[in-house]
Amino acid sequence: MSFSRGVQALTRRGIHSSTQTSFSASKSATQQAAQVAQASSSYVEGTVNDPTKFPPPNSAHGSSHWAFERAVSAALVPIIGASFVTSSHPVLDGLICSSLLVHSHIGFDASLTDYLHDRKFPKIGPVARWSVRALTIGTAVGLYSFQTNDIGVTELVARLWTA
Amino acid sequence: MIARIGLRANNSNCLRAFVQPAAAATRLGNTLKSPSKLIHTQKLNESENLALLNHQRNLRPSSPHFTIYQPQLTWVASIANRVTGVGLSAGIYAFAIGYVTLPLAGAGFDSQSLIEITQSAPVWLKALVKVPIAAAFSFHSLNGIRHLLWDTGRFLTLKGAYQTGYAVLGLTAVSTIGLMLL
Amino acid sequence: MSRSSVAVKQAARSFSSSTRRSLATPVGGAKPALMKKFQIYRWNPDEPAEKPRMQTYDVDLNSCGPMVLDALLKIKNEADPTLTFRRSCREGICGSCAMNIEGQNTLACLCRIDRNENKPSKIYPLPHMYIVKDLVPDMTQFYKQYKSIEPYLQSDNVPDGVEHRQSPEERKKLDGMYECILCACCSTSCPSYWWNQDEYLGPAVLMQAYRWIADSRDDKAAQRKEKLENTFSLYRCHTIFNCTRTCPKGLNPAMAIADMKKEMATA
Repeated sequence: MSFSRGVQALTRRGIHSSTQTSFSASKSATQQAAQVAQASSSYVEGTVNDPTKFPPPNSAHGSSHWAFERAVSAALVPIIGASFVTSSHPVLDGLICSSLLVHSHIGFDASLTDYLHDRKFPKIGPVARWSVRALTIGTAVGLYSFQTNDIGVTELVARLWTA
Repeated sequence: MIARIGLRANNSNCLRAFVQPAAAATRLGNTLKSPSKLIHTQKLNESENLALLNHQRNLRPSSPHFTIYQPQLTWVASIANRVTGVGLSAGIYAFAIGYVTLPLAGAGFDSQSLIEITQSAPVWLKALVKVPIAAAFSFHSLNGIRHLLWDTGRFLTLKGAYQTGYAVLGLTAVSTIGLMLL
Repeated sequence: MSRSSVAVKQAARSFSSSTRRSLATPVGGAKPALMKKFQIYRWNPDEPAEKPRMQTYDVDLNSCGPMVLDALLKIKNEADPTLTFRRSCREGICGSCAMNIEGQNTLACLCRIDRNENKPSKIYPLPHMYIVKDLVPDMTQFYKQYKSIEPYLQSDNVPDGVEHRQSPEERKKLDGMYECILCACCSTSCPSYWWNQDEYLGPAVLMQAYRWIADSRDDKAAQRKEKLENTFSLYRCHTIFNCTRTCPKGLNPAMAIADMKKEMATA
């Protein structure tokens, strides 16, 4: 069995450095001590024996949010299905637009919470969240405008797809 | 590589031990010094010890994650679901916001102009645009149904997850072809 | 020592040496060496400025036990004593040797070495954990999170004053959850746990939270569920399913978490 570089390095270090290191030990020790004294916090909050803390409970962020999210997703299944089979109708279009918009907003928000949350990104986090909210409102305005002044989303998709 | 520091986080009698490599060399039979003469200890009080521990904690690297984790249907399908969802939604947002803002900038962006642009586009370009949209829409919808089935408590075993996963992939292919033929 | 025990000892010694003498030598000589490369993640806290690196070791699989832990111990004993990893029971019950082998989190003592000598075996510590040294992750946060869910029976009323009674059906609900050895393979395989380790509890801890919620003897199910009513503790789970895929004990945290979400939404 071949020996790795590891043991060769170890024996080399073991033989060479016995006298040298005793001096350099004291020098870097004082430098290190200065650095060490400054370290007052780390990724561990409290002591190793403290349990992690829970935020105050709020079902609007918890189970109610989850249930609402699933309800919207579940509603989308028959709505999208209906849009494929029936001809375009303003009420159906309204349902599609609103449910798709809410579904998209929840999706964007979940992605931001996962990747760009305020507690880790104190500046970009809030900017991103408010941007998503603004864009959602802009989209709502745009979709409403399109529905009222133009042919409606199902009709547009049908025509564009088969153009 | 000189000091090896012994740590006991909650012990107030903390010892900081300097172990000279000569002690290791003694094991290899190279010096005659006894190890006890080469070990210095330094008493730290509790806050000094915690500062030392925190200093060491702050130097620790984080182990690699998505660069080394094996691609598996579980998480690949999940991230694909998010990517397709974000992509499709971004498209809807872009369209709707474009509809209100682009005419203000002078560009024509109503359904009529869009249909005309699409009709004048070559077949290969239409396919190039439609295939990813069809595939993303199909995958996200089918995987969404898979998620809803999980939420009702069905298919929550590993076997169930893989069976539904492969079913979603197969049906996505079928659905994409179906949509392209419309 | 009595004469008879001395005689037994001598007989035993002669017996064992005679056994060795009479062992057949394999035809064709000793087994040829089957050399396999192991690429192992290394980082030394005594030289913190040096970035973590991969170090390659060559191991003869024909003189090594079948599991990855055997190879690691062989490397530590024969090649590099500085290689550092946790281990204890060597039978898949203590959870110490959890690490990422060939891209999957598992226990080194239960993971068979792939005998294909053309592919190096890649061994990393558990993903997205602070590394104390080489393959040793800092499990502090994991244990703090486990403590936060109060993993003990909380019951004030014992009906007959003797024992907490439970039917076989009620006890069956705990099967598949109580066997968790807290190795952290599942939690460290979860991308949500990678990105939000400080607030999201992770599949291992969440399955244990549900283990106590589902226990019919426990009276504090409502309070336990109430604590999870926030954005992060439970609801960062997006049913990615890496946890169940990687569990070395064959448990199903994803199902426990889904059941818990269902209970909290419909309660």
